[in-house]
Amino acid sequence: MDFGTYDLEADIYDEMFLPDGTPRQHYRSLYETLSQLSAEEVGSIQERVTRSFSNEGITFTVYGDDEAEERVIPIDCVPRILSDGEWRQLETGLTQRLRALNRFLDDVYNEAGIIEDGVIPVDVVRGCPQYRLEMRGASVPHGTWVGICGTDLVRTNDGFRVLEDNLRVPSGVSYMIANRKAVKTSLRRLYRSSRVREVEHYGRVLLQTLQELAPYGRSDPCIVLLTPGVYNSAFYEHIFLAHEIGAELVEGRDLLVDDGFVYMRTTAGLRRVDVIYRRVDDDFLDPLVFRSDSLLGVPGLLHAYKRGNVALVNAPGTGVADDKSVYAYVPDMIRYYLGEEPLLDNVETYLCRRPEDLEYTLDNLESLVVKRVGESGGYGMLIGPHATPEAREAYAKQVRANPADFISQPVLPLSRAPCMIEGRAEPRHVDLRPFVLHGRQVRIVPGAFCRVALRRGSLVVNSSQGGGGKDLWVLRD
Amino acid sequence: MGRYLERAEHLCRLLRLQVEALVDRPVREIHFGWNRIYLSLDRQPPGGSIELFGGDNYTLADSYTLADDLTFERFNPNSVWSCFALGRENARQMRHCISAEMWTCLNLAYLRLQTLSIQEIWRVSPENFYTETASELHTFVGVAAATMYRDEGWHFWQLGRFIERVQCVVALLLAHLAAGRQMEEFLDEDWISLLHLRQAVDAYNRSYSVDVQPDQVLDLLVTDPLLPGSLWQSLDATAEELDAIGPGPSAHSSAVARRLAGRLCALIRYDWPDREGREVLLRWVREDCRKLHEFVIAAYIDYPVEDSLLR
Repeated sequence: MDFGTYDLEADIYDEMFLPDGTPRQHYRSLYETLSQLSAEEVGSIQERVTRSFSNEGITFTVYGDDEAEERVIPIDCVPRILSDGEWRQLETGLTQRLRALNRFLDDVYNEAGIIEDGVIPVDVVRGCPQYRLEMRGASVPHGTWVGICGTDLVRTNDGFRVLEDNLRVPSGVSYMIANRKAVKTSLRRLYRSSRVREVEHYGRVLLQTLQELAPYGRSDPCIVLLTPGVYNSAFYEHIFLAHEIGAELVEGRDLLVDDGFVYMRTTAGLRRVDVIYRRVDDDFLDPLVFRSDSLLGVPGLLHAYKRGNVALVNAPGTGVADDKSVYAYVPDMIRYYLGEEPLLDNVETYLCRRPEDLEYTLDNLESLVVKRVGESGGYGMLIGPHATPEAREAYAKQVRANPADFISQPVLPLSRAPCMIEGRAEPRHVDLRPFVLHGRQVRIVPGAFCRVALRRGSLVVNSSQGGGGKDLWVLRD
Repeated sequence: MGRYLERAEHLCRLLRLQVEALVDRPVREIHFGWNRIYLSLDRQPPGGSIELFGGDNYTLADSYTLADDLTFERFNPNSVWSCFALGRENARQMRHCISAEMWTCLNLAYLRLQTLSIQEIWRVSPENFYTETASELHTFVGVAAATMYRDEGWHFWQLGRFIERVQCVVALLLAHLAAGRQMEEFLDEDWISLLHLRQAVDAYNRSYSVDVQPDQVLDLLVTDPLLPGSLWQSLDATAEELDAIGPGPSAHSSAVARRLAGRLCALIRYDWPDREGREVLLRWVREDCRKLHEFVIAAYIDYPVEDSLLR
């Protein structure tokens, strides 16, 4: 594999190379292995990896104007590598962050001490569309509102930063495992000698977490995975996870509530359900409480949940903690609840609801990323440096009209990692989504869904917008 | 899944023999074959009806259109393509209930089908295409037999296959008789091709002789307990699968379903007439088999919740 034309830029962190062009210590074996392979050999590895996804039907669904299209997520065969030290730093930082977020959720739906003490303005929390009044006064087992969290991390020359916490229905973990399976069999000798930490036991860890979150007194809980159905873009992942944890995959119509308990229809009759790993958004969970037109949910589910007869993972209302405005206050939450300094930094964030931040944002649109607080998946945002003056002006009008709906952040020079592009090694921007599980304790499988912006120069890593995946190897010490 | 894939396999067999006939069989036989296929599917051919009198070139051009309609037509829910797509979609939805090997096997066959078109298969050898596709489905069944856990998912899959098989066989036999009436006469070749369609030529030769007698052909396809895919065997297997599944939450509906399956077995075993009334009995079987499907759904899938809460 030819690294001759691989370009390094001083202001962008390269995952494989030091600024002087020599490979980093923990990348040396990979570099040497790839350097010894011809373009044809690497091409054949790439083809094998891609084909394995296609053959196994590892797909996601993209919705166009007319019809849904089942697509294979592009995967790059060159793994990204983290050293043991780098991973430990992430692990402790993510654990700290999720503990604080769970404390925050428990607080804002109960005493609201953080608001009383003036750490977070009341309107930021209660004005957030994801704040669910219906959850006020709720208590959850072990104080765990978020049992499964997918945190998006990026790296710059200044280190790792948290880009976003996904606390509702984070997805992508199936690709972490599928990427591993595809890549390790293609680079088998290197994989064996590299002492890579395993990720394949994620299902067992998830099952243990879900069991721990079961209602009190249910020692052998019945766990189901609630999917919106086959047309959901992440349906493959739902099937995969149901299989991994040995749970039934159910849709709303398969469940019913009777006398405050949830039951699943089976071919042998009704069976009581104790834990629902739900992949359905809050809005659609229970038509009696949230959207009344929902056909995806279960009437009466929230009632059963609040009576403590069933666990919902994640709990309804967790979206308030991953709102883009609330995100700016996570470092303060960590200080407030844990009395610790944050181990992982946030990206500097300007809340347009504040007049001074609005002014700064509008004055510096050409150098900022502006995001709508309610959007995700890379939609509805403006990347200032890449936008035309007309697009910036049009966007500015929207910001002025509803400042509270927007935040802005500096355009981060996301780190780059080598990818196999048309037979050559080329740098592409990457991010990282590790999955943090919180039952009685926090557990993190040493791996992540590593996303890569496959278009040259692009910073958008979302699979629906030209992004792909990479395997992430965490090395043992 | 079981029903769609069984139908796809049945269709591949019908079409393989039909396109083989294009090589050397008389135009009349080809017309008979197409009529029989379309009648068995209860579908109008594209363009309305199949012209009975046309030259060789016309017959070949017509056959190309008909084969496309039954193989790659997306809007025909019973084309090979649609059956594969729907069967694979079902498998995708219950991927956690089937083995990984089954899924990969089916997905690979589906992906191959995506790359083909009628132009492509017609240019080389359409027979090979149908043979290979049927063979992929046989492989799938073999892989399932070797790898799938024998829980209720297995029994429901088998049940679907056997109900579909009964319906395919009955529809084919009724269509054969109707096509013969349209032609105003049967030729021996029509009965031989019927045996071929059910892979029963060797069994017929062993049980009877090389001399083809229409009544004996029907006897074999309906009442032979040793012939794979005979109505006798398919109905027996249906009843066995229902027994294996057990009563289910709706005791009434499942009892009705089991009783009906048993009655269908008995009908074929003891009431198959010597000559007159065979077509009437086949129509009963067709209708009862449709009801059986509905009873199964009512007993195990779409049952009233009250029944279950009482248990």
